[in-house]
Amino acid sequence: MTDAELTVRVNGRTERLADVPGDERLLDTLRWRLGLKGTKEGCRTGDCGACTVLVDGVTVLSCLTLAHDVADQAVTTVEHVADDPVGAGVVRAFQQAGALQCGYCTPGFVVALTGLLKERGTDAPTEELLEGLQGNLCRCTGYAAIARAVARVREELA
Amino acid sequence: MSPFELVAPTTPEEAVAALRAGPPGETAVVAGGTDLLLDVEGGRTAPTRVVSLRRLPWRTLDWNGPTLTVGSMLPLRSLELDPEVRARMPGLYDAVRAVGSIALRHRATLGGNLGRSAPASDLVPVLLVLDAEVDLVGPLGARSVPVDQFVRASRATALGPHELIRSVRCPEARPSAYLWQRVRPSNDISQIAVAVAFSPSGRRWSVAVGGVPPRPVLLPEVAETLGSGRPTDAAVRRAIAGAARSVPIAADRRASEEYRRHLVGTLLDRAVRRLATRPEVPA
Repeated sequence: MTDAELTVRVNGRTERLADVPGDERLLDTLRWRLGLKGTKEGCRTGDCGACTVLVDGVTVLSCLTLAHDVADQAVTTVEHVADDPVGAGVVRAFQQAGALQCGYCTPGFVVALTGLLKERGTDAPTEELLEGLQGNLCRCTGYAAIARAVARVREELA
Repeated sequence: MSPFELVAPTTPEEAVAALRAGPPGETAVVAGGTDLLLDVEGGRTAPTRVVSLRRLPWRTLDWNGPTLTVGSMLPLRSLELDPEVRARMPGLYDAVRAVGSIALRHRATLGGNLGRSAPASDLVPVLLVLDAEVDLVGPLGARSVPVDQFVRASRATALGPHELIRSVRCPEARPSAYLWQRVRPSNDISQIAVAVAFSPSGRRWSVAVGGVPPRPVLLPEVAETLGSGRPTDAAVRRAIAGAARSVPIAADRRASEEYRRHLVGTLLDRAVRRLATRPEVPA
């Protein structure tokens, strides 16, 4: 099998990666080649949302995305999600609401909510935002605080 | 997990050629990858060569009068956010939203769902009641296959050697609905699902059920019971009884047969009542 070069923009930097196998997942590229360990591996089967990143501004599950399938696209991980005012507001909302327990699911939730607000607008109804987070699981079952963070995100963005 | 070589052709001709060049039985096609990669990860399939369709110009959504044509590579999320799809093909909107999560739907595609043909597909039942056609390209040119003939069994389709799904066509905007029952609303597979549509031009109902292995099926006799317009309460009751009787279901680890037969009627009842008052359905 042939390993190909991959050019991808990650958190605003152009990364030219050599010898990326065809079957490599974006999740592994981010964590193991680029050292961006904020993106978590939870289930690796697309069920838990812990590996959520933004590709060209929209959420994708990096565990079910081939690295080569995002060639020349812009990837944003949790490390840089707060560079954007919407992402920064989401992070503040999570902090203010104390919306984390063990913290493992938090990067996925923060990126997923940021992507949703950017896609649907910051005036999207809270109900739609909560429903849109159905693909993110919190094994601590700390959903009440996460729902409070979602409910107050508009304040943080105002 | 098995390693594979990944190729990403830029034209349909190159894509067909890439399929022909691959080792038979060891070459797979990937659209969004949300289903194929699960099987690769789980060791259920081990392709040595994978042809990615990501560079093909098939991320389209076109209306031509009442006909909707969806490019096979259009992410499901784009279909879901199209206001016209929601208004004119509400059952398709319901079904798309039943697939995975938003992040998954940014990658998953209609073409991938059909090509993979999972027995519990949430999209196939509604494509059945919309009389969708699957447009294919291959070494012998282009052809179209009705979705009822395209989906043959669990994980088996009418795709010929080296053929690809280019688009899916729904010939008519129809009042339609897709309702499902699951243990959990998200990230789960439907235990049973019902799709219903009314054709304004043909003045007829269509009913399909999903979540019934080996594949979703149309129930023409049940649909006929509903008549040619807004059904009477008695007609709805007959349809419910007919559906509960005729659905080819058995028990598996997701649900008992009895539970499924009961739910088919409940979901059918709700779907028909939701649509019966639409202006396109004559009294």
